[in-house]
Parts: sequence; structure tokens; C-alpha cells
Amino acid sequence: MTETDDGNAFGYAPEIWRLFRNAPNAGAFPDGTPGVVSAEAGTPAARSVLRLALRFDGARVIDGRFQAYGCPASIAVGAWIAGWASGRHVDDLRLLKAAHLREALEIPEDRAHCALLGEDALRAVLSRYQEHQA
Amino acid sequence: MPIYLDHNATTPLDPRVLDAMLPYLTGPYGNASSVHRYGRAARDAIEAARVQVAALVGAEASEVTFTSGATESNNLALKGLTEGRVPSRVLYGATEHPAILEAAESLRPHGWGVETIAIDRAGIVDWPAFEAQLARGPVRVAALMLANNETGVIQDCARAARLVHDAGGLLHVDAVQAGGKLAFAFAATGADLMGLSAHKLYGPKGVGALIVKSHVELLTQLHGGGQERGLRGGTENLAAIVGFGAACELAAAEVGQRIDRWTVLRARLEAGLRALPGITIFGDGSPRLANTVQCGVAGWEGEALLMALDRKGIAVSSGSACASGTGEPSHVLIGMGWERDTAFSAIRISLGVATTETEIDRFLAVLADLRAQAVAA
Amino acid sequence: MIYLDYAATTPIDEAVFDAMLPYLKPDGLHGNPASTHGPGFKARAAVETARQQVAALIGAEASEIIWTSGATESNNLAIKGALEFRGFPKNGKPVHIVTSKTEHKCVLDTCRQLETLGARVSYLKPDGQGRMTPEAVLAAITPDTVLVSLMWVNNEIGTVNDIEQLAPRLRERGVMLHVDAAQAAGKLAIDLKTVAVDLLSLSAHKLYGPKGVGALYVRRKPRARLSPQMHGGGHEQGMRSGTLATHQVVGMGAACALAAARFDADVAHWRGLRDALWARLQTIPGVLRNGPTDGDRAAPHLLNLSFPGVEGESLRASLGGIAVSSGSACSSATAEPSYVLRALGRDDETANASLRFSFGRRTTAAEIEQVADTVIAQVAWLRELSPLPRNG
Repeated sequence: MTETDDGNAFGYAPEIWRLFRNAPNAGAFPDGTPGVVSAEAGTPAARSVLRLALRFDGARVIDGRFQAYGCPASIAVGAWIAGWASGRHVDDLRLLKAAHLREALEIPEDRAHCALLGEDALRAVLSRYQEHQA
Repeated sequence: MPIYLDHNATTPLDPRVLDAMLPYLTGPYGNASSVHRYGRAARDAIEAARVQVAALVGAEASEVTFTSGATESNNLALKGLTEGRVPSRVLYGATEHPAILEAAESLRPHGWGVETIAIDRAGIVDWPAFEAQLARGPVRVAALMLANNETGVIQDCARAARLVHDAGGLLHVDAVQAGGKLAFAFAATGADLMGLSAHKLYGPKGVGALIVKSHVELLTQLHGGGQERGLRGGTENLAAIVGFGAACELAAAEVGQRIDRWTVLRARLEAGLRALPGITIFGDGSPRLANTVQCGVAGWEGEALLMALDRKGIAVSSGSACASGTGEPSHVLIGMGWERDTAFSAIRISLGVATTETEIDRFLAVLADLRAQAVAA
Repeated sequence: MIYLDYAATTPIDEAVFDAMLPYLKPDGLHGNPASTHGPGFKARAAVETARQQVAALIGAEASEIIWTSGATESNNLAIKGALEFRGFPKNGKPVHIVTSKTEHKCVLDTCRQLETLGARVSYLKPDGQGRMTPEAVLAAITPDTVLVSLMWVNNEIGTVNDIEQLAPRLRERGVMLHVDAAQAAGKLAIDLKTVAVDLLSLSAHKLYGPKGVGALYVRRKPRARLSPQMHGGGHEQGMRSGTLATHQVVGMGAACALAAARFDADVAHWRGLRDALWARLQTIPGVLRNGPTDGDRAAPHLLNLSFPGVEGESLRASLGGIAVSSGSACSSATAEPSYVLRALGRDDETANASLRFSFGRRTTAAEIEQVADTVIAQVAWLRELSPLPRNG
């Protein structure tokens, strides 16, 4: 068998597998952490729910967390966005599209909805951030 | 050491094919439909074999469906093409294998017109009769074998295909005996479907294939599980499929050499046979497989001769293994228009890749002996 | 890699392989069993010995065993052959089949195909443990019912149907009984001398034999009648044509002989492993056992559990080093939740978050411990990761 024995028996793309297994930035910020904006996308019935929490300092994200219920690709999407957002300006966040996620994580066509889940969760966070600003 | 001259009934497994199969017989490979990693390795092995089988006949891998053997392939072809359709006609050559003959006849109660295609004494389609037959009405499928299992006569399938296609029908070609003994291309035969078997070309028993052009609508005959893209249910026979692939790859590489060897050996065999008085070699003037000779001598009884040879350690056949011991004369020879007495006298000698000159000579000597005893008695 | 998917397929036992190997070598045992000469007779003799070995495992006569290419073909032949022999669909008489929603896919697919030709089929819903009681089956019988097709042991959840009770009552009513015993042979004691089953399907590769071979038991007294589904050559008493694959048939015979010899030890071994794994995993909050909760009424070799609150694909992915199944092997390439668990009343999410563990002769107690540790840790981790409200 050609695969290395990292447990990736189903042949997920390396980046999806790494983020799924390590799940960096998993979890939530402690209650009362200042500057945290969180939002959710997806439904349990569709077997994918992603909750994204970004901690803002002004217009810049200083940290990110995620929680996910779903397939390995949707968990990887949550981990990737939470890491990628840290240090970025809110205007940069608006530029992230599902297509970028699919490229970065090598998400196959039949899992395109996992990338959309990520885009939806980020948008929900940004629109809530907007409400806070207003 | 017994002399085996019945390779058209079945061949021994090529040791190299066995080597290819062994990891799949002894290894931890799972059900090819399971998703976990053993399952995926098994699926890869099946797809590699599909490419090897396709390559033997110049087909696309996607055109290959694995079955449990030629009988299933031929049944799937004829039943899968006719099921659920408004009945018209199914035609099959008068010298076809029982799997074609009986599968076709089983359609009769379902309203299909089932007719034989006339074959002449040389084993070749009676072309004018066939054209007239096609002109008489619509045809769903005509079935012809590329090479006959008893006489080895090679049919001009491309010519048949043109006629059948002009009549709006499909051509199914049983290439079980031609596979590995004749160089041919699926496309060049004009066939829409083609049956192959592994154990006739030094692969394992229990596996075969049906090659189907993508435009052909075929209904599955083995329901359940959705394997083989829904065309044939059931857990894949992994080791046998791998063996079939390996056997096809060897056949593709070696068919030229095999034919060259057989041509020399058969010339020696036929020269010896022709020395016997009253000999008939069936399909003598026709193109034939280089490894096959079916012959008869007036006054002989094929079955008795077969048993006498067997007692001397020589295995030949009186015709199809499937029909052995039925007490009926070869339906192939009857289909070609030979008299029953002549058909009863037939024996078939089919050479293999390991057949030697010494074996041929020994066979001829034993045959001459038996003949002398019979004359003396 | 720890392999716990023996209900999908087993490796070939070494003793079985040793029995097969001579028939794969060019040493005079390669003959066509239908040939009437020395090599053919030798192959034929091996085929007949194997037939006796298969018959012995289920309390049948050798003449009642028909070789096939596997359980899928056996099930197709039994169901279609039984109907066709009665003139269906040509004679236009109404026919009715009774089966259950939790049968193997090949039985369900065959029944659906027959429906397209005009047969009426009742797909009965089992009870919450997956059982079809004799009463429920008998209540579905109509004057047109010609065949009941029911599995002895369910392949996903291990439920054992009470075939012993059902069989005589169908016999009284003149209804044929076909039993898919692919998961039952070697796991339960089967004695067809005392159980009035008419047709019974077997598979070699579920009991340490090779893939590509199976058998159909066809009762002689009273005779169960079938029309062949594969024509040509008239092998197998005319019921199934095609050159017999000697090595595979010999392998199935050897596998059945071995299963009979090891029966008590095998069953005790599997039962012990199953109960040990359940003892560990039942500590997971909210875990559900699918199928009979009373282990004595379940097949010994498998355990099917649902883990609410975790998503099934991630659960299976996180167990990468453990080969288990999410349902029947045939359907697990698709992400669809098991129709068997759905028929038991599990919702889609729960059905999806289910695993079938099935045990083999070589599975060890240490492997079971390791699997239990991994499953407990991964379920906890995935629940920790989830934004959904906590289960259990």
C-alpha cells in the first residue's frame, strides 16, 4: 500500500487531513472576552454546522476560533479560516470567497458545499461586525 | 506424464498469472466495495485488470464488465439486450456455444422470434441466406462466434456486422475461443458486444468479461449492490479478476509467438492425421485457430476413442466439454450440415502453449495403434 | 491497521488456501470438471467432495447444493427462478412476494425488478430490534403469495430471525421460503433436516473462503422447483450453467468444513470480543446499540452502534487505522445513511453516525481494547469540536 500510515485511510487532500487531525484554533473564546464577534452557518439536518468566532481590535482581527459539526472538509474549512483571519483587516476578510477555500484546501467538486459553508460563516460574522459598528 | 490436448475446454493457469493472483488470495484485501483502505487497494487492482483486458482486444476499459465467466457474459448480452423490449428477432449461428444457443432459446417464451443463422459445411456463414434472413424483418441482435470452439473456424464478423447493422440490429460476438489465440481488435470485428473468458487463455476459472460499446443499452441480469456500474451486482471476484488481467496482458504480448508455434505443431499433427485412411478435418479449407483440429474418420466412434485415449493418458475431447457424456453428436458438426455418423466420429485436439512435438508424435502413435487394433478386431 | 470488517469479507484461511492451490497449478488438476477424461474426472471429484462439505455445514444432502458465483447470484436465482418456474410473468397470474425492508440490497433490488414485471411485493418493517416475527410474516401472506424471502442473520445489525418457527408455518400454507444465510452460516447452527427452508443462499467469502463462489441450497423433499437464470451447457442439474471454477468450489468446501469443525470455538471467541467491546463502548454517553440488545439473541460476530452528536464521515475518518463499516459494504461508498438503521426508526443523522464492528478468528482482546480506546477518544474529541448542544 502506497499511503503513509498517518491514518488518512480515505485519501483526503493533505491540507484537509492536517487541519482535520490537528484542528488548530478549535474551541470558543472564554465568555466576556472583549471584541469577539461570532456567527454560525449550516444546519444539523444537512450534517454541517460551522460556528466562527473572530476577536477584533478595531478593524483588525487579532485571533480566531471555530467549532464544527460536519465532515472532515468542513472542519478543515473552519480551522483554516480561523487561522487565516488572524492579523487581517476587515476589508481583506470581505474578499474571501468559497473558490479560494477550495483552492487552498484542494476541496473536491462534490464537497464544494463545505467551502460555501466557510464563506457563509465568515459573511455572517462580518455582517454582525457591521451591526456592532453601526 | 499425461498429455493434455484439450486446451479449448480449459487451460492450466500460467504460473505467472498465479503469481499475480497470490497476493489477492492470501493478502488482507477486503470487499472491493468497502470504502476503507484495503477496499480502495482492491478497487485499484480491479481497474488495472480492466485496462489489461481491454488492451487485449483494443477496447476501452470503460467498455469492460467483469462477469463470472463466458456463460454469464453470453447470457447477459442476449437477455440484457432483449429484456423489457417489444419482441422482434434474435438470430444465432447454428454452430454457437450452448451458452448462446440456450440463452437465445430461453427468449422464445417471452415472444421473441429465435432463428439460427445457416452455417455451411466449411463452418462459414451462408452469406446469401443470412442476407435474405435479415431482410425478412427487424432483428434486435445476431450472435456469432469469432472462432468456433470445436472446429476452430474463424468467422468474418466484420462482414456480419455490416449486414446486421444495415438491418438495424446489433452484433454480439462470442470471442471466448479467439481470445489469446488470434490477434484481433474489438472495433475491427464490428461487434457491439463481445464475450471473453479467462480460463481459455491461461487465466483462472470463474471470471469472464462482457465488452459493451457505450451506445448499447443493456439491462442488468444480476441485481444488487450496484457493482460494475450497475451492470452486474455481486462482490467482485478480486483474485480471479486480477488473474484475468494478467493473463490478457501475457496473451497480448505472446499471441504472435503462440500462433507461430501452434502453426508448426499443427502442421505436424495434421500431416500425421492425413496419413489415416478416410480422415476428415472439419473446416479444413477455412481460416482456423492455429491450435485446433477437429477430425473424424468414418467408422470411428468419437466418445469411445476419447475414452481409449484417456486410458493411454491422453486427454482430448469429442467437442464442447459442456456436452460431453450426453451421447449426442456434436451440434456444431450437425449445424454445419455433416451427417450424424460423421459427427459421431469426431474428436477435437486443441494445443496449448506448452504442447511439444514429442506429445504430438506420441498422440499420433497411440492413435495409429488404436486404429490398428480396431481394424484387427 | 486493525481490521474489524469481517462481516463484509474475510481473508481466505490458510488451510482453505492450501486446499485451493493444487487446482491453480499446472499439475494435472486443472481440468474442466465437465470434461470426460482423466483431468476432467479429477476436477469433478474435487467438486463433488466440496459439495458434500457445504451440505454438511447446513444439514443438507450434496445433491441439494447448486454452485453459483456468490450470494448475489444465489439470491437472484432463488427469487427469480422460483417465480419464473410458476409461469411468471408470462401466464399473467398475480404473484406476491413477502420480504423485509432490511434484507440485503441484492434481495431488495431483485424484488424491485420483479415489481416492474408485475409482481406484488410486501416489504415488511421489522420491529425495533430488526426482527421479523413469524406472526408479522404470516399476517402478510395472501392467496397469491408464492415466496417469502427473509435473511437468517442481518448483515448490518446481527438480528437473528426465527426461521425455525416460521418455516413449518409457511410449509402448511404452501408458500416457499427462501433464506439468505450469507451471514448465518458458520455463525449459527443450521440444520435443514429439521428446518423446512426450501431455498437457502450461501457465500464463501464471508466464512474464510474465496470470493466469486457461493451456493444455493435447493430442497429435494419436497422438491423446490426453479427455472434456471443462466443458460447453456446444463451444468448443475440444469439449474445453473457455466464452467465450474474448481479451485473456488474446492475453497468453499474447505471453508465450510473448517467452519463446521471450529464452530463452537469460533462462536465463543466472537461473542467474547463483541461483549468486551460493548462493555467498553457503552460508557460513551448517549451511545445506542442497534439490533438485539440481548446478546444471546444476536449473531455473535458483529456489533452495530450509533454515536449521536458526531458526524458519521468524520467519525469514520478519525478511526483511519481501524477498518469498520458504516453499514453493508455494498452501500458504504455512498454517503447515504444505512436503510437498515432507517427501517429501525433511527433518524438520518443518527443512522449516519453509526459503525458496524465485526470480528474474525484472529481478532484479539488487545485489538478490542485498542479500538475501544480510539473510539472513546475520537467520539469525545468530535463532540468537543461540535457547536451543537451536548448529547447524553
